[in-house]
Amino acid sequence: MRAVIVEDLALLREGIVALLREHDVDVVAQAEDAEGLLRIVAGHKPDLAVVDVRLPPSFTDEGLRAAIEARRRQPGLGILILSQYVEPVYTAELLESGEGGVGYLLKERIGEVRSFMDAVQRVAAGGTALDREVVSELVRRRTGNGNGSDALAALTPREREVLELMAEGRTNAAIARHMVVTPGAVEKHVTNIFGKLDLPATNDDHRRVLAVLTFLRAA
Amino acid sequence: MDADASPTAPTELRTPALPTLDAGAPPARAATPGGLPGPAAAPPGNALPLHIALSALAGLVVTIIWAVTGGGYYWPAWVWLGVAVPVAVHAIIRFGVSAPASARHGLALHGMVTGLIGAILLIVWGFTTDGLHDFWPLWPLLILGVAVAVHALVIYADRLPGTREREAQLQERVGELTRTRQGALDVQAAELRRIERDLHDGAQARLVALSLLLGRTEERLGDRPEEAELVRRARAEASAAIGELRDLARGIAPPVLADRGLAAAVEALGRRAATPVTVDAEALEVRPLPVVETAAYFVVAEALTNVAKHAAGAPAHVRLGEQDGRLLIEIADEGPGGAIAEGSGLIGLRHRVEALDGTLTVTSVKGSGTTIHAEFPCGR
Repeated sequence: MRAVIVEDLALLREGIVALLREHDVDVVAQAEDAEGLLRIVAGHKPDLAVVDVRLPPSFTDEGLRAAIEARRRQPGLGILILSQYVEPVYTAELLESGEGGVGYLLKERIGEVRSFMDAVQRVAAGGTALDREVVSELVRRRTGNGNGSDALAALTPREREVLELMAEGRTNAAIARHMVVTPGAVEKHVTNIFGKLDLPATNDDHRRVLAVLTFLRAA
Repeated sequence: MDADASPTAPTELRTPALPTLDAGAPPARAATPGGLPGPAAAPPGNALPLHIALSALAGLVVTIIWAVTGGGYYWPAWVWLGVAVPVAVHAIIRFGVSAPASARHGLALHGMVTGLIGAILLIVWGFTTDGLHDFWPLWPLLILGVAVAVHALVIYADRLPGTREREAQLQERVGELTRTRQGALDVQAAELRRIERDLHDGAQARLVALSLLLGRTEERLGDRPEEAELVRRARAEASAAIGELRDLARGIAPPVLADRGLAAAVEALGRRAATPVTVDAEALEVRPLPVVETAAYFVVAEALTNVAKHAAGAPAHVRLGEQDGRLLIEIADEGPGGAIAEGSGLIGLRHRVEALDGTLTVTSVKGSGTTIHAEFPCGR
């Protein structure tokens, strides 16, 4: 896998590069601003861009905008956004930005090395990796009003946990491992969730995340 | 005195030169022959001169009669007085209706009436005494004079040198406080954003780097589970610290607000709200001051939270606009209404808005939803 890293703080950039190289990821280039991102993506045609959302010069959301632009120029480019905060609007924009894997993770997840590397592999392979905070915030906002008519409120806590893990982009097998249950039990939960949310079942991880998120945003 | 008394021809009534009535001058002066009798069908504006002329004529006639009958005691003086008093009263009434009621006009009338009474007293005393040994009008004159003086003092109290100075000082102080409060709020907002930036680039970034190093260390301790567990706990602590810093930064200003401005942030709020929300946010021409932006954001956030709490499921509409340098925000819901405008959540918002010279009004009628309207000066 060939990756590029865009992060303005040298300390973090070097740490991420070292971590990825330890896990046999070929880090082909690094940059520290949005312009640099577009330049190295054009120059190296990587599989994956790991991008900090906040970059110079304005330190707002130019990392996100540049990544979406880079993907427009190179369809299929995997984008893994790292951020210090959860912003569902940005997640939605990322998911809607076209073909290719997408990830949106809080920066501190880098420390959970194994699951971070899982996310990197998944996004590079065209899958999805959403931070559990993004998902739980969306679920909380959708259900926190105590409105009994809300379909999400009908989910059991167990089903909601499965839904959150699903939205993070995990496969049923990975969810089963995480929850220490059998894959068959997860399968049953997923079927129940789709039933309660009135969503058509599909085997495609990415599409089911999109379906779940679309529902969460639009309800 | 009554403003409605002269609605037809106020200008015409104001124009005739009115006799000046000094407190000491005998009103008989007003009856000095000054004009010929006017036409019988005199317009209202000529009524006073006609009155004066007729009065003077009467005085002259009795004076001639007195002269013809041999003189002696000048009894026509009483006739002069008798015709002069109605003329003076006439003049005072004309003056009274010549201008809208006001404190100063009232004082002038008071002065005139007092002058007239004083003059009558003096004249009567003058006609009936041959010396100064018994000046009986003294007490009534004193009382009348004191009444006018007190009246004048009440009306012109603000003109006294001390008061004017004090008023100027207060005005200066209000201006100064307004300026410094605005300055303090601007500085505070800028300071908070700087702190947020510093947290992001400083402490948070270092903690993330620390967490990363701990993660890599943990990985290499695969064969020493006890040490690995210690490192994992250290990493969990670092994560908790990062989380706390994140909450702190979010309380200062939500990232989407800092990143993309108020309209985008309000739209994001609408999308994330627990009730169906339509947002009509025209892009603002000039970005308001950060402190105004943040307050406006929290007004919308709090209002939508209230809708979710008290009118669950009711559609809400958020409108954001700008007019004459003022930022207007309106959040209306189709819920049951009847909200208490002084609820604790709304009071907090009101304080936040009022600190910026803004206003917040809550309209909530049972059965027709609740509307919160806030307005701020944009501050630029």
